[in-house]
Amino acid sequence: MDVVLSIRGLFAGYDRGDILRGVDLDVERGGVTCVIGPNGAGKSTVLKVVSGLLRPRAGDVALDGERISGRSARQILDHGVVHVPQERSLFPSMSVWDNVLMGGYVLSRAALRRRIDEIVSRFPIVRERRRERAGSLSGGEQKLVEIARAMILEPRVVLMDEPSMGLDPKARRVVFATIRQLNDAGATVLLVEQNARSGLEIAGRGAVMETGAVRLEGVARDLLDNPEVARLYLGSAARSLGDRG
Amino acid sequence: MRLFVQAVILGLLAGGVYALMASGLTLAFGIMRVINVAQGVMIILGAYVSYTLFTHFGVDPFLSVLFVVPVVFVLGVVIELVFIRPLRPSEREELSLLVTWAVALGIEGVLGLVYSTTYRSTIPSYANAAWRIGGFAVLQVQVYAFGLSVVILAVLGVVLAKTRFGRAVRGTVQNPASAALLGVDERKVAAIGFGLSVATAAAAGAVYGVVTPFNPGSHYDLISLLLTIIVLGGMGSLPGTVVAAVLMGVSQALLATYISPTSAKLTFFILLIGILVVRPQGLFGAVERGKL
Ligand SMILES: Nc1ncnc2c1ncn2[C@@H]1O[C@H](COP(=O)(O)OP(=O)(O)OP(=O)(O)O)[C@@H](O)[C@H]1O
Ligand SMILES: [Mg+2]
Repeated sequence: MDVVLSIRGLFAGYDRGDILRGVDLDVERGGVTCVIGPNGAGKSTVLKVVSGLLRPRAGDVALDGERISGRSARQILDHGVVHVPQERSLFPSMSVWDNVLMGGYVLSRAALRRRIDEIVSRFPIVRERRRERAGSLSGGEQKLVEIARAMILEPRVVLMDEPSMGLDPKARRVVFATIRQLNDAGATVLLVEQNARSGLEIAGRGAVMETGAVRLEGVARDLLDNPEVARLYLGSAARSLGDRG
Repeated sequence: MRLFVQAVILGLLAGGVYALMASGLTLAFGIMRVINVAQGVMIILGAYVSYTLFTHFGVDPFLSVLFVVPVVFVLGVVIELVFIRPLRPSEREELSLLVTWAVALGIEGVLGLVYSTTYRSTIPSYANAAWRIGGFAVLQVQVYAFGLSVVILAVLGVVLAKTRFGRAVRGTVQNPASAALLGVDERKVAAIGFGLSVATAAAAGAVYGVVTPFNPGSHYDLISLLLTIIVLGGMGSLPGTVVAAVLMGVSQALLATYISPTSAKLTFFILLIGILVVRPQGLFGAVERGKL
């Protein structure tokens, strides 16, 4: 497997105690890797360490073999790792257009102009709703703009934390289809999802996190077929139908 | 009726200058959640610098703005670096009140030593020149001060709306975590934003001294006025601040005309209590995070 991002023996936490207790995870180049697991398992915490929002107490994160853990969020961004957080992250009183421009905050004027043309052609919503306040968009539309904004930097790895959270089934399908398309176009995605089935279905590889560590890791298809994963995370037939909308 | 119109005109002109004084407070609060109670003393500082340039070098007070703004900007950046940055984010909102109050008293003390507590006023040759428009007399300096305030506010507005730095400021105000994730250096935004916020106040101060006599203690009155305006405007909303400032200017002028000049000093008190009872979120109902 061609690994672009490699996480080894990660320990990290907030004010008291470790939330992550030895996380190991590999992200395949050009693929979607989907992390599932119960609330509070530490999935978001892993993404925060990778993007530099949180410093690990021990362990390493390496991007193409180069150690990035312990660097500042800005330095990690400059290395091409972009984080779309779990919470809504648009600037609600800014226009959609200004939000997307903010995605290229670190770019030069010329590079920004070049990139924005491509983003507009790939995400028509950015042009159609350009003057509207981002906060006035629906949850699904906001998520698409967040994803568009993240793609401005042509990231080597996109970290996406529960992009389908709080969306209705139709919006969810659009979001998953969009991630698929990005991936087809070559983007590497590390995806965290509560909708385990939908997440694993668009992923090449998957991992199950519990209480601060990765319990299972492998080909997404195998995890979907794993009876224990099915029982614990893919839920009853009703729930998985709900997940798929 | 004549009296009424005259009072409204005066109030509008004063309100424009108040808007410039208060918008910096709103900016700093929006970016850093810091209530800078040294804003009043920055205005007085601007007034003294302008006064000195005028009495010693004959520099016109409206020209002296070009000197006052950069100097006070640098002072503001230094204050941010030395006094505000070391505060931990969790306690910044409260401790910054104490810290900036200490800065205010410190600067007031220095001004007292240098200039004594005598009231001063910058009196250029045109200080008493007035225009008569349709039977109403308006002092030219008041119109100039209003015009200057409008220009500076407009520049500030364009910077915030159209530039990369402006987007970084608005982003930090609306969602600091998200701005940081996109590569905005919050500390740089804070330092520059704080510098700008006090520099605009000092610009207002440079011309304030032409309209109103002042001494080092004048900042107490000013800061009460400004705090009322930003509460009225809904903490963190620039358009709200401007409207509240104009409202304040007009009500003060009306009270001074119909009741007494001393009662005008109580305007802020009356308005503040009234607003806090009826609309605690301010006229513009600002939400948790600002909308700059
Ligand atoms: N900022 C924080 N400060 C303190 N504790 C936190 C903070 N953020 C998360 N935690 C704690 O860390 C643990 C793991 O949180 P994390 O957000 O990583 O879980 P998660 O797997 O993403 O869960 P969810 O599926 O609910 O998003 C939880 O117990 C949570 O309460
Ligand atoms: Mg989470």
